[in-house]
Amino acid sequence: MNSSLIVVEILVALLGLGVLLADLWMPATHRRRLGWIAAGGLAVIFFVGMKDAAEVAYAFGAPGAKTGMYVQDSLGVFFKQFFLLAGILVLIMSVEYSGRFATGVSEYFSLTLFALLGMLFAAGTNDFTLMFAALELITITFVVLVSFQRDRASSIEAGVKYLILGATASAFMVFGIALVFGSAGTTNFNEIAAAQKTLASNPIFLVGLVFVLAGLSFKIAAVPFQVWAPDVYQGSPAPTTAFLAVGSKAAGIVLLLRVLYAAVPTITAQWHVLFVVIAALTILYGSLCAIPQRSVKRLMGYSSIANAGFLLLGVAALSKAGAAAMIYYIAGYLFTVLAAFTVLSVVLAQTESDDISTFNGLGQRSPMLAAVLTLSMASLAGVPPLAGFVGKFLLLKSVVPMAATHPIYLGLLAAAVVGVVISIYYYFGIIRAMYWGGKAGASEPLQTSWPIKGALLVCVVGMLWLGILPDTLVQISTPAVEVLKPELPVKVAVAP
Amino acid sequence: MQPGLPHYLAVSALLFSLGLLGVIARRSLLVMYMSLELMLNAANLALVAFSRFNQNLNGQVMVFFIITVAAAEVAVGLALIVALFRKRQTSHVEDLASLKL
Repeated sequence: MNSSLIVVEILVALLGLGVLLADLWMPATHRRRLGWIAAGGLAVIFFVGMKDAAEVAYAFGAPGAKTGMYVQDSLGVFFKQFFLLAGILVLIMSVEYSGRFATGVSEYFSLTLFALLGMLFAAGTNDFTLMFAALELITITFVVLVSFQRDRASSIEAGVKYLILGATASAFMVFGIALVFGSAGTTNFNEIAAAQKTLASNPIFLVGLVFVLAGLSFKIAAVPFQVWAPDVYQGSPAPTTAFLAVGSKAAGIVLLLRVLYAAVPTITAQWHVLFVVIAALTILYGSLCAIPQRSVKRLMGYSSIANAGFLLLGVAALSKAGAAAMIYYIAGYLFTVLAAFTVLSVVLAQTESDDISTFNGLGQRSPMLAAVLTLSMASLAGVPPLAGFVGKFLLLKSVVPMAATHPIYLGLLAAAVVGVVISIYYYFGIIRAMYWGGKAGASEPLQTSWPIKGALLVCVVGMLWLGILPDTLVQISTPAVEVLKPELPVKVAVAP
Repeated sequence: MQPGLPHYLAVSALLFSLGLLGVIARRSLLVMYMSLELMLNAANLALVAFSRFNQNLNGQVMVFFIITVAAAEVAVGLALIVALFRKRQTSHVEDLASLKL
């Protein structure tokens, strides 16, 4: 029993409860300050509370067992820092946006912290039970965060859609966990990994695993569980959309990495064609559907589907290089998407619509915001020297060696290249609107507070840092995936 | 005849399929929500059956997690459906079509 490992999670939970309690004594006009307190608290935890994982340590296992429900390793620490940084930036964004909420400003901050808590637990998951609890903590808090603008019909509609589809995905996952437990006799990742040679031929276990993967695919919005993403992204308040795009997706990614490469690497290798097909379809679906979109948030929803496909390239690569490229890509995605949504939430805080034409003339109105949004769109499209370019390059590079083993990988590479080309078209549509989009509805410059400027600065520095000096993060991401054990598929003779 | 593990699993799979059918086929949000609960309880039944026949209590602990989570989900979900009804005077999925292209 080693509960000192989860000290960061305990602090975040206390911070969330503290914000809820402080709300009782805080006059209504001062409640936005709670957002600064929450963001500051997270910053303190980020700089003080994080320790390097010198060695793999487990918590909450059976007495004397060399394993446990919760694991602290380099991968978990990397993702915990990722989630804390995302939480800080999202809280800064939501303080700016909170003028739009009729009531419950401090509840919004505290629910954001609880969603963050779920993500932190997801980063250290080593057991299907903890995976379920962490994912549900994320899903249920997000249902509330999505439908937070109760006075807007679209927000409630998005919330109901997320609720029904999210609960369906959870039900699949729970049933899958039941089947996995029944056939393996345990829910611990290490114990399943030890028994996977025999489990690989157990149909009940395989069906259970498929159901679990379906639940995780919903979280990262991969085909065929992607239908919710555009609607929910469009209807939610901008900071929620940003947290969904970054935090919730990254939680799905870290769980996917742990399940596929820590619990069942042999079965993952057998199923590589499935991951190739899903990755290719997800990239093509997201890219093609994004073309006709007029709503910027909806566009980001389709972009998020396409990016889930790019991330799955790393899974299809079946190698440590692929996993390292995934976490590089998602780190770049954090800075890029949060920069975009910070600008979006400043622009949308004034207007009701989020049509692309809202951004007309932003280049003259607020050159600074327009420049940041341009950088982030260019990074999403994969223009060098920005984070998105290096991320996509590393992912494609990790898939290339596999092309010699199976021709389907050539199709995947082709789909990825087509996706990149299409994405340049729709991301640059936003840039075109900002600089050559005709007259703006309003001409006065947008007010940005200094914390927003700071958040934008962090995002821009992050994008350029990951684009220009990729080695610095590669040196972190490569050892981070050492705990994963991907395997290559064994050539099996096809039965006649 | 003594019912064995396969019988419980068959009932559980049947419950799960019925729940899924309800979510897909029914158009009232409340009925869809009930069907979702049915799917969760199918998983509970499977877990308890596996625990009982494999002499391993971990599955029963998991059931407590699921019941708790389901309760939280219902609290949030019903509140949301009530908010939707107040706003739109409807709880049918056909009327949830304002978000598209």
